[in-house]
Amino acid sequence: MSIAGHSQAMFFQARATAQVRNAGLQKTLKKVRPLFVAKRAKGVVGLVEDGFDIEELRGACAAIRRRVVDDLDVWLEIFEERASASGAEVLWARDGGEVARLVVDIAQRHGVTKAVKSKSMLSEEARLNEALSAAGICPVETDLGEYIVQLAGETPSHIIAPAVHKTIGEVESLFAEAHQRPLQERSSADIPAMAAEARAVLRQHFLSAEMGISGANFLIAESGSAALVTNEGNGRMVTTMPRVHVVITGIEKIVPTLEDFSTLMRLLPRSATGQSISNYVSLLTGARGANESDGPEKTVFILVDNGRAALAGSDFAEMLRCIRCGACMNHCPVYFSLGGHAYGWVYPGPMGSVLTPLYTGVENALDLPHASTGCNQCGSVCPVNIPLPALMHRLREIQNERGLRPWGERLALRAWAWLAGRPGLYRWVSRRIARYLRWLADDSGRIRVFGLAPGWTEGRDLTPPPGPTFHELYAARKRA
Amino acid sequence: MSAREEILQRVRGGLGKGDLAGRRAAAESLVRNPVHGPQPRLDADLTRRFASKARYLASSVEHVDCLAQVPTAVARYLADQGLPLLAVATGDVAGFDWPGSGVEIAVRVAVDADKTGISGCFCAIAETGTLMLLAGPQTPGSVSLLPETHIAIVPVGRIVATMEDAFALLRAEHGKLPRAVNFISGPSRTGDIEQTIVLGAHGPCRVHLILVGENS
Repeated sequence: MSIAGHSQAMFFQARATAQVRNAGLQKTLKKVRPLFVAKRAKGVVGLVEDGFDIEELRGACAAIRRRVVDDLDVWLEIFEERASASGAEVLWARDGGEVARLVVDIAQRHGVTKAVKSKSMLSEEARLNEALSAAGICPVETDLGEYIVQLAGETPSHIIAPAVHKTIGEVESLFAEAHQRPLQERSSADIPAMAAEARAVLRQHFLSAEMGISGANFLIAESGSAALVTNEGNGRMVTTMPRVHVVITGIEKIVPTLEDFSTLMRLLPRSATGQSISNYVSLLTGARGANESDGPEKTVFILVDNGRAALAGSDFAEMLRCIRCGACMNHCPVYFSLGGHAYGWVYPGPMGSVLTPLYTGVENALDLPHASTGCNQCGSVCPVNIPLPALMHRLREIQNERGLRPWGERLALRAWAWLAGRPGLYRWVSRRIARYLRWLADDSGRIRVFGLAPGWTEGRDLTPPPGPTFHELYAARKRA
Repeated sequence: MSAREEILQRVRGGLGKGDLAGRRAAAESLVRNPVHGPQPRLDADLTRRFASKARYLASSVEHVDCLAQVPTAVARYLADQGLPLLAVATGDVAGFDWPGSGVEIAVRVAVDADKTGISGCFCAIAETGTLMLLAGPQTPGSVSLLPETHIAIVPVGRIVATMEDAFALLRAEHGKLPRAVNFISGPSRTGDIEQTIVLGAHGPCRVHLILVGENS
């Protein structure tokens, strides 16, 4: 299993425990969560002021994406034809390993020694940086957050804010070491200076790299273009300065027309950062024309499956609508208790809890579909109406169907089902349990130690049931 | 089997639909007759909307009556910012009376040393306060990207309401997309260190818009 090979999702509980105990991380998460939520809320207010109905817009965005996913084969062919006709080369990759081989091959054929990268989560799926380095090609991440994460030798902990887990002090020590300068005392007031430092260092990489590697927020079938959305301008740099541009993108990223793209752009930035539009939105089509003086001489699209095609027409096809805005994790109580690294693979938060088992194998990410409170905050903010909790429930069912749950849990559920099918016995047992729980409570009416499963009362007290069971009350009422 | 064939076959197997030709025709027809999504309700004064949104996104905005006044406005802005009266410019603004204003321009691709880039725009979008620039032989993208200061000339007659309107204009005037369409909304920014927004990431740190024409 090449995909599951680098997933750590099976160690979710151990990783989660470590993150909960990481005081610095917890402080950062606590600070950031209200910012993310408030930004999107403000973005939605802006839409309403312009006369939009947010639910109507979400419905329209979901419909656009559904149209593509429902006929994905056809849209892929249309995109491929039009992209080729515009002068780009279109390649296909079955998995991450094939992506890495194709990129290394293109780099070697064009004499590339350095590649500047704009943020691409798919390149994380393919572990592209490792493959490039192994081939003697230097990969440089240019999104500031990705750059920080690369210097730290880590992976992103959030899909749009990759270094959200890093404190200013940590960034300072990384910069001091990488830029070979003395360590300084830093406060929030120094953040502009630190950003300027990264700008100066990365500028030289933009000017010297022979290859630019980017993802695509969307592929536009009508024109065969890649759409790239960034705030820092690194997306424009990567696709303007080097002589070769490689776009790595999932096969599901297509939208039919420029009008559809316009509709999606009303929700993508607002869902992600609350912005009405990101600073830079670029549509890239073909390669540099004969009389043009900048832009890449060669443009290559790599359309990647890596588990996506298997979702077409399945119970999980709705997940293919995802536009990678990050709103689900920004509103997730589990994500903000743990941070992104607990999830153990490329995608954290609710979308990761669905995608990781689907892309790396249900048996390789058993805890993720359970890393949910079922609150549906994710589902209610998703710009393309993906029912994330329902998909997590379906994954739990599959675990059960395939006998992947622990025997104790399976036995307990079977016993429950047996009991629930016998109403008389069920009532008798629930009366006994209610009485037992009341007997466990102390004078103040709290259960301090829960005899059968003491773990439940390790960090909290339980409240006993207040009185007779529902069936007892109902029966008494009928008699009266 | 090639990766392409294998992936398409996997998708088709999952979808379980036949009638490839019929589905293809339906998709092509959708491309020929694009559907508009929900549209904003904007005030009729698009110039005011554009200017206020652009200012909100941290661009500075000024208004002159006619194109002839642009070079002196640029000279004044550069002097106010303490910048040299020297800039790289795109071909669409090369014909202005720059010598008369004292601003020296070079019409070429931008290089790292350029402090200021001056460009026109294809059009501008009122809904979001966004510039739409097309890269081309006369209008290299680097001019609006490498210099720390980007000055854009925006004729008010080229301000449209929405991105959809901008695409309609593009189809009408050019037929197809150029190599790069760049939508620019203010100076570049990053929030990647402790979620604190800083202006001036990799692109320009300052964007100055000179609106040209009626209704100032």
